[in-house]
Amino acid sequence: MISFVEFLPFLMFLTLVPLLFSGFPIAFVLGGTGLAFWGLAVLIGLENPNSFFLVVSRIFGGVVNKQLLVAIPMFIFMGTMMEKSGIARDLLNTLQLMTRRIPGGLALSVTLLGAILAATTGIIGASVVMMTLMALPVMLERSYDKPLATGTIAASGTLGILLPPSIMLVVMADLLGTSAGGLFLAAVVPSLMLAAFYLVYIFARTSLNPSLAPPMQDEEIESPLTAGMVLKSFVPPLLLITAVLGSIFGGIATPTEASGVGAFGALLLARLRGELRFTILRDVVERSTLTTTMLFGLFIGATAFSYVFALLGGHDQILHIIQSTGTGGWTVLLILMIAVFLLGFFFDWIEITLIILPVFAPIIAHLDFGGHLPDPGLTTMWFAILMAVNLQTSFLTPPFGFALFYMKGAAADLVDLRDIYKGIIPFVLLQLLGLLAILMWPEIALWLPTVAK
Amino acid sequence: MSGLLKFTSLLDAGATKLGRASAWLMVALILVIMTDVTLRHWFVIGSTKLQELEWHLHGALFLLALGWAYTRDAHVRIELASERFSTRTKAWVELLGCCLFLLPYVAAVVWFGIDYVGYSLEYDEASPSATGLPHRWIIKAAIPLGFLTLGMAALSKLINASVFLFGTQEQARETSFGSPLNSAGGKND
Repeated sequence: MISFVEFLPFLMFLTLVPLLFSGFPIAFVLGGTGLAFWGLAVLIGLENPNSFFLVVSRIFGGVVNKQLLVAIPMFIFMGTMMEKSGIARDLLNTLQLMTRRIPGGLALSVTLLGAILAATTGIIGASVVMMTLMALPVMLERSYDKPLATGTIAASGTLGILLPPSIMLVVMADLLGTSAGGLFLAAVVPSLMLAAFYLVYIFARTSLNPSLAPPMQDEEIESPLTAGMVLKSFVPPLLLITAVLGSIFGGIATPTEASGVGAFGALLLARLRGELRFTILRDVVERSTLTTTMLFGLFIGATAFSYVFALLGGHDQILHIIQSTGTGGWTVLLILMIAVFLLGFFFDWIEITLIILPVFAPIIAHLDFGGHLPDPGLTTMWFAILMAVNLQTSFLTPPFGFALFYMKGAAADLVDLRDIYKGIIPFVLLQLLGLLAILMWPEIALWLPTVAK
Repeated sequence: MSGLLKFTSLLDAGATKLGRASAWLMVALILVIMTDVTLRHWFVIGSTKLQELEWHLHGALFLLALGWAYTRDAHVRIELASERFSTRTKAWVELLGCCLFLLPYVAAVVWFGIDYVGYSLEYDEASPSATGLPHRWIIKAAIPLGFLTLGMAALSKLINASVFLFGTQEQARETSFGSPLNSAGGKND
């Protein structure tokens, strides 16, 4: 039997879960629960009454004083600016014209746009809502099959958490104490592989049955595709994203430097389009600040929570359990993957990453997979990519997929939840295929970082 | 009663002003990074001061906006169960949440945060790097200050919820829970 004191850290989690569903902001529930358990520890004489000081010092050292995390508001600003200045919409229009002769052209465009743009929004709720509002009405107007349309949007919209420059990978790199540039590199092949899966599936389905996705009729085209259009709407944002990623991958710039340049580039693009009015700038500045604050408020709350969890001996106990039961690397990985997958039904990646990773971060690097990995030093990287793909899949899985609810919310009466469920199933299968492939062949993720060294 | 509600709009306005002002640090941050990158790569002048200024600005940006984000309902919630709650239940959640979680949490961070800043001020703590920024207490002070604005926003929400739950119908309509305009804030708005 374990004693009450030993049970305390687990009681923290048991208390947390029902409270999260109260609908009160998660950041405050985390901070408040952390404080309450610290108070309990003080009451029973486990902690001295001044040790909350350490939590404040941890907030400063772990959240404020972090050069890498500066990249997050910059990437959020870059994404918000591209969306609000109409760059995203133009990109979709051009893509749509470029692919108009191909069956399922619009669906293919949405996938490409999702891959390009969702990369910069970084938050599942936001990118799925944005893509739904922008693309779904157009697809339905062109009498696309509803399940195909919704499945495409949901899957491509969530791909952004994986595709660099991903905010999630920045947060994971920070929590796992690894390089963000390295995680970005490791995510390139897996995310392109998934995007390719989507494209092949859409192309195959619509080639076999063109009525699912009627191509654009010539008379519907208001303005023909011109080289000028492509140059104006397509090339600049693509160049910007390539430059940002290229300078990180090339080792020319740190993620923070590249994110700042990316944000400046987005400002410049908006200026060149004549969209940089004061009202738009203020709107973008305020929106991206609110998103940043939401994320870092949660970061602070999770820091307080996990610091108290550690004070109560939670980390030592988990380590102890794993060591004393002789649980191997594969079992730990499997348990974590299932836990993350189930949590993904209810929570966005931010909460899952910030609550779960600090607890398990100390053990992940030491998990032993025998000769499965080309180099045991790459375990953390492989784990992070697996977790990212797993989370993305979880967001899409009916009946509770997090992204599906957001989509239904944004689409309102345009589609039934049933269409959404039906449409997402093939994409979930593709995701599982991808996840399995990365599990079996870690080189899919690890090859690029190894050759780039 | 209307005096009480006027007081809450004062609290909200304070948190909002500071938050909206700190939002512009975003632009300052872009310019500082651009300056740093330009100097570092084209003129080979690396500046620790500029790099430290980056996280100083970033820290101030989100800390000082904490309260404003709460008045704008930007802090993420799990709405899976709560979207079926009536407005009264939602007001109860807000009331209890503020009393039991948010305000004690804010009080603890402000209380120990002031100690934390005082300690840094006493020794006029500077960056551990010799070429870094001095006066580290300034950015550290953003922690209790930011949480103070969060406390202001929470107090306002607490009063609004109480008036909505326990006041007359007319008073309830004047609270942030009474008007559909304020209660319907989406997650990403």
